[in-house]
This record gives sequence, structure tokens and C-alpha cells, in this order.
Amino acid sequence: MSREGFVPPTTANLGNAASGIQSLKNYGVKYVCAQCAVNFSLSPKEPVRCKECGHRVLYKARTKRMVQFEAR
Amino acid sequence: MSEPTQQQHPNEEQPEDQEMDEGLDLEKIKLLPGATDDGTAASFQIIDEDHTLGNALRYIIMKNPNVEFCGYSIPHPSEAKLNIRIQTYGDITAVQALHQGLDDLIKVCTHVEEEFSSKITQRDYSTEEP
Amino acid sequence: MSNIVGIEHDRVTNTVSTDFPGYSIEANNEFDIEEFKKKFQINISYITERTANFDLIGIDTSIANAFRRIMIAEVPSVAAEHVYVFNNTSVIQDEVLAHRIGLIPLKVDPDTLTWVDQTVDEKDRFTDDNTIVLSLDVVCTKNPNAVPGDNRAENLYRNSNVYAKDLKFEPQGRQTETFEKNPVVPCDPNILLAKLRPGQEISLRVHCILGIGSDHAKFSPVSTASYRLLPVIDILKPIAGSDALEFQKCFPSGVIDIKENGEAFVKDARKDTVSREVLRHEKFNGKVKLGRQRDHFIFNVESTGAMPPEEIFFKSVRVLRNKAEYLRNCPIGNLN
Repeated sequence: MSREGFVPPTTANLGNAASGIQSLKNYGVKYVCAQCAVNFSLSPKEPVRCKECGHRVLYKARTKRMVQFEAR
Repeated sequence: MSEPTQQQHPNEEQPEDQEMDEGLDLEKIKLLPGATDDGTAASFQIIDEDHTLGNALRYIIMKNPNVEFCGYSIPHPSEAKLNIRIQTYGDITAVQALHQGLDDLIKVCTHVEEEFSSKITQRDYSTEEP
Repeated sequence: MSNIVGIEHDRVTNTVSTDFPGYSIEANNEFDIEEFKKKFQINISYITERTANFDLIGIDTSIANAFRRIMIAEVPSVAAEHVYVFNNTSVIQDEVLAHRIGLIPLKVDPDTLTWVDQTVDEKDRFTDDNTIVLSLDVVCTKNPNAVPGDNRAENLYRNSNVYAKDLKFEPQGRQTETFEKNPVVPCDPNILLAKLRPGQEISLRVHCILGIGSDHAKFSPVSTASYRLLPVIDILKPIAGSDALEFQKCFPSGVIDIKENGEAFVKDARKDTVSREVLRHEKFNGKVKLGRQRDHFIFNVESTGAMPPEEIFFKSVRVLRNKAEYLRNCPIGNLN
């Protein structure tokens, strides 16, 4: 699988991609760029690059789930 | 870090761990083996108490002229158990000495409270640190 | 037997209390509440908002110590127990932040809350009777009106420092009325909890419950409570002239004063810290005796702010009495 290469969207998916609809909720995994700290989402097939600066080191964003702690 | 699921708060106004319907706590104080038949010498084990009550109670019980011996120990610091031994000269039983000691301790505390309260209401003290 | 504990240069003497019946032939030391009432005295030196300094005279060590131990470990107070973190993108780890929040002293009168019943199921356990809910929601952003040239974080960013005062009280149910006059705030608003930079945010809820210091130190209502015994300085042989000035220097100022004829005398032994400096000088050997009065306790109670210090002492006496009363009414079982 070419991780680096830009894969142009096929005409089938173009409509969805252009309007920004995420077909399945699972593919809305959020990541944070290591360099410019920009939040964005990636789907599994997408190349692993920051949307803005193109940096390739990404951190997964913090979970939205609530975590409980004992203040001890 | 590890807390027992049932927290003991022995100092509450309404004692909570009286699970029996009669409302009595049967675990708090027990008679240990080694008591004489006539009850003039006995050892008691009190749970969930430490030097705070033990030393104070020992002092008050020792001031009883009928008491020959009174001592307390904490068998192991990890367990909140207090052993107290009372030996009397024979005129009263150990249990009576214990109850007398507790009553006297209550009287002391009541008096300290009243005295402190009256001193506070007198208000003849400074409200600044020197 | 004297009630003065002797202080030598390398030891203390006469430390054990001797007021028990049968110790000496003359003194009948039987416990008598009227005798106790005659001998017992309380003198209050000063009470400020956070500190109380008072003397208990004529009481035994075991009872004074019981009061001290109870003030530290068994007077209930309110502190944060459960922290529910919804979002924390700061560099302070969740558990570290939760620990810090737990240690913040809260200005809550513990009498307004009841104990949490641990036997009840978790989802019903916290009611408006036994829990205080606080929330912390803070986002750090860049300050558009930053003064150029000033590189301090307070200038460059908004909300870069998270303080205890940022914890907001969320009254639940009946608490809107009961806490209307005195909302829940931290006793010291400027405790620094965390530092943030732009883009980082913290969003959490805190449940605060009643607890005692022996469970966790955050529940202790005093920063500390301590007592010392009243120092006693006996000048056995007169000390005069330049010796008197040297003698005065061995003690903190205000303890020793010099009469008109040059002799030193003890002005206020209570100010002495008993450093035993005078015992280090050979010229004063045999001229002075140091000691402490065994039944005179100078208490110093420092509250964290939840309750005034005299109330903490009150409660400790009450707690000791309740312990004795509870034990008095308990049936004595058999060890099986």
C-alpha cells in the first residue's frame, strides 16, 4: 500500500468527500499534529500526514470518555 | 489506598455500625480469656480504637483507688485493636471499674467543654497574633 | 512529687506523672471531679481567624494528647474525593491533578453534610445531603491584547494559570437554599493547580464528601495542632552584672530581664523555647535549673480555614466524649 502517494478520489466517493459527510462514524478518529498542534480527523485509508503542515508524526487525540479518579 | 467497603466512623453522633435490630454494636468491646471467676481481673479488647482513647482511659481508671493494675496495649499497629487489662483489689469488678472510668472521662470532657465555652464567651483575649 | 520535668544538658528527669492513688502517703490522688474542677483552668492567649493559642492547666498528658490526636485525625471535615475528568489536555496528568484538587481545603461547615453511606449502590450514593459538587472548566487561549515586549505567561495567554478559585460550586437540589448565604469556596483562592498553554483545556467535576484525617490527610481540619509544656526557669544563685547580660542572651528576648541592681530575673518563662543554650556555658553551672511544668499545656491550633480553630478544639473534646459514651453503652461480648 503506498502510504505516501496521493490517491485522487474516485467519482463514486467524490460526492461524499466533497460534501464532507463521513459515511461511517468509526472513521472519525481524531489526531493531533506534533508540529502545528492542529486537530483533524483521519480515516483508515488516508495517508498519515498533517492536513496543514504535512508533518508525519501524529498523536491520537485524548478520549472523549469520562475517567474517574480518587483524589488520593 | 485500600479502603474497606464499610468505613467505620466511631466518633459520629449517631453510631452507624449497629447492624443488629436492637441497635447494639456487638463487636466493639469483648472480654478476653484470662479473667478471674469473680471478675475482679479481666482483659478487654476494643476494636477501632488506639492510643487516643487507650491512654486517656488508662489514666482515669488508674485514679480509681480500687484498681490495683490498669494497662493497655495495641497488639499490632496494623490492626486497630486495643487490649486493656484491669485488676482490682476485690471491692469492685473489672467491668465496674471500666464503666466508672468511662463515666469519669465523660465528666472530664464535659467540664473541659463548659470551661472552654465560658472562656470563649468572656472574650477577654486578643484577636491578633503577638 | 513535684510536677516539674527536669531538663539537664543530656537528659530529662521526672517525666512520669505521679498523681495516682497509692503513690505517696500524703496525697490522695483519687479521681474526684470536684478536685479536678478546682485545679483545672483554661487561659486563652489569642484567637485569630486561623490560629488559636490557649493554655490548659491542671490536666494530665494523656487527655491533652487525646485532644491533640483527635484534632488532627478525627474531627470530620469536607474535601474532594471523586474527580470525574471529561477532558484534560494539559501537561499535568489526570491523577496528579486529582490529587492536588483533593488537597485543597474547602470553606464548608462540616455540620451541613451527612456521612456518605458506603453500603448504598454507587449510583444512589451521592445525594444533595452528603455531597458537594464542584466543577472546573478552563481553556487557555492566546491573548489578543498582549502588551508587546512582556513575555510573561499572564500577559501572553488567557487562563494560563489554573487557581483554586476557578473551582465553581454547583449547588444540587436543596443546596441552592442552604448554601445561598455561604457558597462553597476554597479557603485559599490562590492555590496554583495547573499551568496551561493555548489549546490546552481542563474540564472536570468534583464530588466532595465528609471524611476524617485518619483516612486521608486531606480531611484533617488543622494544618497542625500541637502543644508544648510551660517552661520553668529557676535562678538558684543570683546572677548580676555582665554575667546577667550574657545570661539574658542565652534566652529569647523577653524571657529574662535585669533588675535595677543588675540582677537577672525571669520575666516571662512562657516565651522561652527551651533551647538549653544556658546549659552550654560553664559559668552558669549550678546557678540555673531548667524544667517544664508537667500539667500546663500551651496548645497551638492552626486551622486550614474550614472551621475557626476554637471550634475544632470544641469538636475534639466532643469527639472524645462521644467515644467514651459509645463505649459505655456497648455490651461486652465474648471473644469466640
